Amino acid sequence: MKPVLEFVDTHKLWYCLDCGKCGAACPISRHETRTFTSPRTLIEKAVHCGMDEVMDEPLFWSCLTCYRCSQVCPSDVHFSEFMRSARSLARGHDRSGDCTHGGMIQTWGRMMTNPDMRQNRLSWVTSDLKFSEDSDTLYFVGCMPYYDPLFRKLGVEGVEIAQAAVRILNHLGIKPQILADERCCGHDQLWEGDLDTFRALAGLNITQLKASGAKRIVTTCPECARTLKMDYPEYVGDHGLEVIHLAQLLADAGLDLPPQADDGLVTYQDPCRLGRHLGVYDAPRQVLFDIGLELVEMPHHAATSLCCGTSCWSACGQVSKSIQVERLEEARATGAETLVTACIKCQIHFKCAQNDPLLGERVGIKIQDLTTLVAGRLFGDTKRNPKQEVPVVSR
Amino acid sequence: MTGPKVIVFTCNWNAYNGLETAGAQHSRYSPSVYPLKVMCLGQISPGIILKAFENGADGVLLLGCPLDECHFEFGNRRAEEVFQEARKLANLLGYRNEQLQLDWLAAGDGQGFVEKIEHFLAGLYEGQRQP
Repeated sequence: MKPVLEFVDTHKLWYCLDCGKCGAACPISRHETRTFTSPRTLIEKAVHCGMDEVMDEPLFWSCLTCYRCSQVCPSDVHFSEFMRSARSLARGHDRSGDCTHGGMIQTWGRMMTNPDMRQNRLSWVTSDLKFSEDSDTLYFVGCMPYYDPLFRKLGVEGVEIAQAAVRILNHLGIKPQILADERCCGHDQLWEGDLDTFRALAGLNITQLKASGAKRIVTTCPECARTLKMDYPEYVGDHGLEVIHLAQLLADAGLDLPPQADDGLVTYQDPCRLGRHLGVYDAPRQVLFDIGLELVEMPHHAATSLCCGTSCWSACGQVSKSIQVERLEEARATGAETLVTACIKCQIHFKCAQNDPLLGERVGIKIQDLTTLVAGRLFGDTKRNPKQEVPVVSR
Repeated sequence: MTGPKVIVFTCNWNAYNGLETAGAQHSRYSPSVYPLKVMCLGQISPGIILKAFENGADGVLLLGCPLDECHFEFGNRRAEEVFQEARKLANLLGYRNEQLQLDWLAAGDGQGFVEKIEHFLAGLYEGQRQP
C-alpha cells in the first residue's frame, strides 16, 4: 500500500503556504458549523501526522472535490486529486464514506462490473428517435435511465434528457449510436476511492467503445464527460475517442432561434465537472444565447460557481442542504425564472432541497436541464408530465 | 445446495410468525431459501434488495403483513413503494419480475408460508426455462 506521503508528493501538498484561501472558498468549510475543517487543516495533518489523523478529519469524506479550493490556491496544490488518492488508501483501512440512498447507487455500480450482465436499459427509446450503428458519434447515456425511477417523485427530468439529446442530435443530422449494455462510467467509484470497481467498469466500457467504431462520444452528463475524457486514459486505457458534452456540440452548431414573447430570464449553474474540471464555461452560455434566452449571472458563476452540495452519493446531510439553499437563494435573487443546469445531479440535489416544506418559497425557482430546454425551443414543449413514469418492462 | 438461492425478507409480526408456525409443524421447504427477519418490511430500502442480488441471490421475496394489519400502521404501504422502486431498478439491471416479488402472510399461517415459497420457486424455475 502506498503511504500517504507519496500522495503528498504527487499532488504537491508540500507547496501549501498555509494562506487559508481554500478554507474561505470551500463550501464545506463555510457551512460546517459543528467543527472547524478546511483543506488547509487536512493538508497539515497529511504532512505532519499521517493517515489516521487525515481519515478522522470531517472533510475527508465530505469533500466535494469541486476544485473550488484549487481555483483560488496560489500554490497550485492539487487538493481534490489528493482526496481521491487518499480515499483509495483509506479503503485499505476499511473506511468508506456514508453512502446515501441505502447505498443502492454504489450497489448497482458494483453489479455492473459483472461482464455477463445484460441490462434492460433502453426502454426510454421511442420510435421517433433515429439511431445508426455505423455512426461516428456515440451518445453515452450514463445513469439517466436508473435515476429516472428513483427521483421521479422529486419531479426530476430523467430519461427526458436522453430523449431530448437524441432528438437534438437527429435535428443536427446526426444519428448516434448507443450502447445497449453501457456501464456506469465509474465517476463516483473513482472519487470515493473504490478503484477496483472503477477499473472494472471502465474496462467493460472501453471494450464496447472500441468495438463501436465511433470516433466521438457525446454526453449529457458532465461527470461522464470528465471520466471518459480524463480518467479512463490515466487509470485504465485510452479508448481513442474524442469526448464532448452536448453543450459544446450545440455551441459549435450555432443554433439561431428568435426570442419568444413570454421568455423570462434564465440563470446558469456551472456543474463543477463541466466548469472547473473541464474548463467549459462559454459553450452552455453560448447555447442559451443562441436559443434566444437572456442570461443573468449569479454572483458566483463560472470559475467561482458553487457546487450543488453533494458528490458521489455520499456524506449528504445538513451541510449539503445549507449549500443547496445558499445556491438556490442566490439563483432566486437574480430575478431569473429558470435555473438552467447541464448536469442531472445538480438538478436532483437542488430539487431535493426544494422538496423541504419548511423552506417553501425561499428556494422556489424552476430548474431545467440545458438539453430539455433546447429541445423545448426547437420542437415546441415536448416535455412529458414529470409525474408520468416511463414503463420499464421485464425481460 | 439445491435450487436457486432465495432471500426472503419477513416482517417480525405476521410473516415471521407464519415461518415459525411452519417450523413448529415440521413443514419442509427448500434449504436454499434464506429467511431474514426485519422488524417491519417498511424499513427495508431498495438498496438492501439490490444488495441481495449483488451478493448472488437468484430471487428476493418480500413477505409482509396483510393489508391494514401492519403493526406500525403504514409499514406495508411503505414496503409497497419500496418494492415498486426496487422492481424497476432490478428490471433495468436485467432481472425478471419473477425474481422479485412482494406478498403478505397472516400470523400463524405455516402452510401459507410454505405454499408462498413454493409458488415463488416455481416462478423462478419457469423463468429459467424461458430463453
